[in-house]
Amino acid sequence: MLAVAPLLAGCGVSMPADPNGTLQEITGGTLQVGVTAAAGEEGDWVQLQPGAEPAGIEPDLVRGFAASREATVEWTGGTEHELVDDLEHGELDLVIGGFGADTPWTKHAGMTLPYMETKDERGKTVKHVMLTPLGENAFLLALDKYLQAQELQS
Amino acid sequence: MSAGNSTQAVHFGNTQLPEEQRETLRKAKKLEWITIAFLAVTVALVYLVLGNSQAMKAAWIEDMLSFLPPIAFLVAARVIRKPPTEQHPYGYHRAIGIAHLVAAVALLVMGTYLLVDSALGLITAEHPTIGGVELFGRTIWLGWLMIGVMLLIAAPPVFIGHAKMKLAEKLHDKVLYADADMNKADWMTAVAAAIGVAGIGIGWWWADSAAALVISASIANDGVKNLRGAVSDLMDARARTYDNAAPHPLLERIDDFLGNTGWVGEAKSRIRDEGHVFHVESFVVPREGSTPTAEDLELLREDCVDLDWKIQDMVIVLVPELPEEFLPGVETGGED
Repeated sequence: MLAVAPLLAGCGVSMPADPNGTLQEITGGTLQVGVTAAAGEEGDWVQLQPGAEPAGIEPDLVRGFAASREATVEWTGGTEHELVDDLEHGELDLVIGGFGADTPWTKHAGMTLPYMETKDERGKTVKHVMLTPLGENAFLLALDKYLQAQELQS
Repeated sequence: MSAGNSTQAVHFGNTQLPEEQRETLRKAKKLEWITIAFLAVTVALVYLVLGNSQAMKAAWIEDMLSFLPPIAFLVAARVIRKPPTEQHPYGYHRAIGIAHLVAAVALLVMGTYLLVDSALGLITAEHPTIGGVELFGRTIWLGWLMIGVMLLIAAPPVFIGHAKMKLAEKLHDKVLYADADMNKADWMTAVAAAIGVAGIGIGWWWADSAAALVISASIANDGVKNLRGAVSDLMDARARTYDNAAPHPLLERIDDFLGNTGWVGEAKSRIRDEGHVFHVESFVVPREGSTPTAEDLELLREDCVDLDWKIQDMVIVLVPELPEEFLPGVETGGED
């Protein structure tokens, strides 16, 4: 594989690539983010207040990622169901809302690497992730790289 | 299992194995243990990088199924050593046929399941999601690890398979043959999975399901091939060579040998392949005017047993003419 890597890079093919070109579209463009409120004792993942920008750990991370790709963020509110549906149909690029790695949405959405771990009230470890469109692997890897590079304290 | 008893006589039921076969059996057992060890490492490695790739899943399941033939072989190699008993007058040779059948059914069922699963993935246009992975403090694409693992595990089974193939011929062992055949083709599975993942890498979401289809088809095909072989052996079909390529030459050798014996006018045999050894029933018509004694018959039987180690369980029946009902295809009256 080590022999193949530079070969492909030499051909100008970047691995991985997005079948639907999400990463290319958002870079210098607009990042469509779905938000659903999720705030608890373990952390303020997403706080929504009427008339204000979404606040909390996850919106901050998303703003940071968007800035790194020179993208503006457009927020869309809704229930998890609506947002994941929009994600599946390409209307959203990213959905946040305090999701754990054991989220039941995995058939409908891709998942970032856990960017932070906390314990819930039952002492169970929760690995926090964000949801991405299925198969948009270049976008997912870019987001993973950004999230893993952040120093987050749980 | 240990090499310690290799100096003692090794039996398959009543059949004592000649030096060459004894050595072959010992080597085959060793290779099967090596296979199991290799598979254990493979299955663990592939599991670690499985991700969301259907092709990787199919390859992983194939690796899991690859445990069956070596285990079947090792278990059967123990069971068939038992001598015949009152309850099992023909011995325990058929154990190998049962092991063969079980492995074949498992391959066919899993292959079919994966075939349908992969086809559904293709039809519903599932886009496999493969993200990053943390490795030594860096975030890299998991796909690179998948490709690396698959290429790493591709080559060794080919060598093991070739080595086993040679032993299978000497031992006349069809389970060992099937196992060797699968090992030899294993590199294609690994390379197909690697290509599938590389396809995802360049944005061809369908490459993964397509590769998975190829892998599942090969698993199902292995299942069909083995099922055919196992069933025909259990149905007492005509004995064939270890690779089912041709009728076993021993049948002709026995008939020729019997026919060339002085007092024998005509002889024809039927053979059941019991796994390693053959059960032979020979019908012998004495030459006109000759009256063979019981000793003559016993002598003839012993000479036949000396022809090949696979012949041990043999009966010779003295008949006035070749019985068509037991020997389909025989032309009564004889052609010579």
